Amino acid sequence: MATTSVPLTKPTAPVLAGARSESQWAIVLRRFRKHRMAMISLGALMVVFLASLLAPVLAPFPRDATGLAPRFSPPLTAYNGQMHWLGTDHVGRDFFTRLLYAARITLSISFFAATLATLIGMTLGALAGYFRGLVDSIVMRILEFMASIPDFPILLIVTSILASRPESLPIPRFVLDAMGALMLLSPVGNERAQVVVIIVVLTAFGWISAARLMRGMVLSVRERDFIEATRALGASNARIILRHVVPNAFPPLVVSYTLSLAGALTAETALSFLGIGITDPTPTWGNMLQFATNFMLTDPWVPLIPGLPVVIASLAFNFIGDGLRDALDPRLKM
Amino acid sequence: MANYLVRRFILVFVMAFVVSLASFVLLYSAPGGPLEQLVALQSTTRRPDPDEIERIMKRYDLDLNLFVRYLRWLTGHPRGPIVIGGQEVFGDLQVGCLKEGQARLVYPDGRVVEINCAKPVFLRDLAERPTGNGVIRLDFGRSQQLAREQPVIELIESRLGNTLLLMGLSTFFAIALSIPIGIYSAVKQYSRFDYFFTTLTFFGSGMPTLFTGVMGILVFALLFQRLGLPYLPAGLVESNRDAVVPLLGTIKAGSFADRLWHLILPVAVLTFFNLAGWTRFIRSSMLEVLRQDYVRTARAKGVVERLVILKHALRNALIPFVTLLAGVLPTLFGGAIITESVFNWSGIGRLFINALVASDYPVAIAYVLISTFLTLIGFILSDVLYTVVDPRIRLS
Repeated sequence: MATTSVPLTKPTAPVLAGARSESQWAIVLRRFRKHRMAMISLGALMVVFLASLLAPVLAPFPRDATGLAPRFSPPLTAYNGQMHWLGTDHVGRDFFTRLLYAARITLSISFFAATLATLIGMTLGALAGYFRGLVDSIVMRILEFMASIPDFPILLIVTSILASRPESLPIPRFVLDAMGALMLLSPVGNERAQVVVIIVVLTAFGWISAARLMRGMVLSVRERDFIEATRALGASNARIILRHVVPNAFPPLVVSYTLSLAGALTAETALSFLGIGITDPTPTWGNMLQFATNFMLTDPWVPLIPGLPVVIASLAFNFIGDGLRDALDPRLKM
Repeated sequence: MANYLVRRFILVFVMAFVVSLASFVLLYSAPGGPLEQLVALQSTTRRPDPDEIERIMKRYDLDLNLFVRYLRWLTGHPRGPIVIGGQEVFGDLQVGCLKEGQARLVYPDGRVVEINCAKPVFLRDLAERPTGNGVIRLDFGRSQQLAREQPVIELIESRLGNTLLLMGLSTFFAIALSIPIGIYSAVKQYSRFDYFFTTLTFFGSGMPTLFTGVMGILVFALLFQRLGLPYLPAGLVESNRDAVVPLLGTIKAGSFADRLWHLILPVAVLTFFNLAGWTRFIRSSMLEVLRQDYVRTARAKGVVERLVILKHALRNALIPFVTLLAGVLPTLFGGAIITESVFNWSGIGRLFINALVASDYPVAIAYVLISTFLTLIGFILSDVLYTVVDPRIRLS
């Protein structure tokens, strides 16, 4: 219920010299640490994050090498003297290796999609709420429009068109190179372009909630006396927005950012699972799950391998969001 | 109110127009159109046959200019020259071009015009070709891939029953369960019951249906079957052959019991997911209302607690719930895309995904258009319902 919140104001009372005081972020950190599930989630995410960062070091096999062992070898199978920790998939690729690379790709996509969406939403929301007038009515019309269309089907159809023909989206070369280097993608084929397309589409549909939230926050903050005072002191609009309005609207945005990470992650997984997003051989948890469910009747353990990371990551982001909500604004406690 | 509704309906039509225009552009810029497929098919064996290409272009209106094509797609018109009082007008208005090049047109009155088109198409020529009824009369054209040449609307009709059944049941159960659970959680805030359901709903909304669906199949279909327990089917709408289930006996393929048996798992997965969100919603809205002065007043004047909760509090707590229900309308039609895919449920959502994977864009566009329209109607409905349940709200 972050939308109904009133932001914490900065402590303005002068602090007595010598008296011990706790900064606002220290309080938040202390409260966050008390949320046990959020701390466990943070730990779990750190493990996944580090594992994906070290993917090229940890992975025992090349990403796309097929026929390493008989198809669907169960976990802890040793074949040709090499251990397959999580077994092999339907064409004999090493599950553990692919899971690591997939984590890197899926997490990067969620990170970029959620971050870009939040930044764009924040900017537009702040401008609309602060300046009102034309900017506001344009942004509001777009928000209304996006609210009254079924966004998931439209996201699917746009992704399906763009992902099957990524060259139709003009993507700057350096973006492709950077994403390719980050997610260890091969420069041949359209692997890199597909990943960028997914990020672009998820961003395009994801900025709405951040913009609405930011606009609401700014509308309530801009009428406050301290903004009036700042303006009387001669501060420019840019300074007022960046130094006073944005920090005050920050707490609910941090929560919504965490939740939008979870949203982007499940959206990407769903797209790839449905065969519309990133396609084999590029591994993502979603398309690994798709293949796994096809062979579920004969090898029921297979879907658990890509399925568990998805649900762990999704729940972890949710728990962290919950912890942050409690820590940032105790009045919002569920 | 009337004023509001008129404005809202105008907005719906503007939105529908924008979405239809966008859909049309998508439809024809999408990869894998009929012509492209034909060329791809032929280039592997022989060179593309010009006659065949022309036939396809005529068949799908690809030779017409974009505006005329959009009009024909949307309304089914123009179908030929406009006839006023037995007199043909605009019969030789050029509306398209079948083949690029140069041509010289000689009119009966002796005029000679040079045009940049080797085979121009005139309004008169449209009378010869088959024309649909247009999207506004629910004619979305024919499927190009999934079921060749079958009208899209027939495809949708054949799947609609399955989706309505699945979505209707799960929505019903979710509402029927979330209201009492939400109320009880709010009334007994921080009780064991409340903690249990708050945690459960947290997991329910944090776990994608993709995962709960797959886990459901793993446990209740595969594991139970192996353990010799009464298991549930792993997917599909009905069995292909009779199944013998422990304790339940033989379930005949296609019987009522069989269909019911197949419904349990997908309905449960969807109910769980919706239940999570809605219970939280009712709980927090109930908590908000219970803090209000009029609830305290009711208690102070000695109203029985049960009446305070059910009459004074609940009625007000349910007001925001109406907005949530507005979102239900499009999903009743559109189905749950992911759940239907996980369970191989032959419904509308799965039809949409199959259409996208097979690049059958007429089917996909029809789905999006109908969903959009229902979403818009849902918004109007929720606004009107708001005034019904809460007389304080006036639409203006």
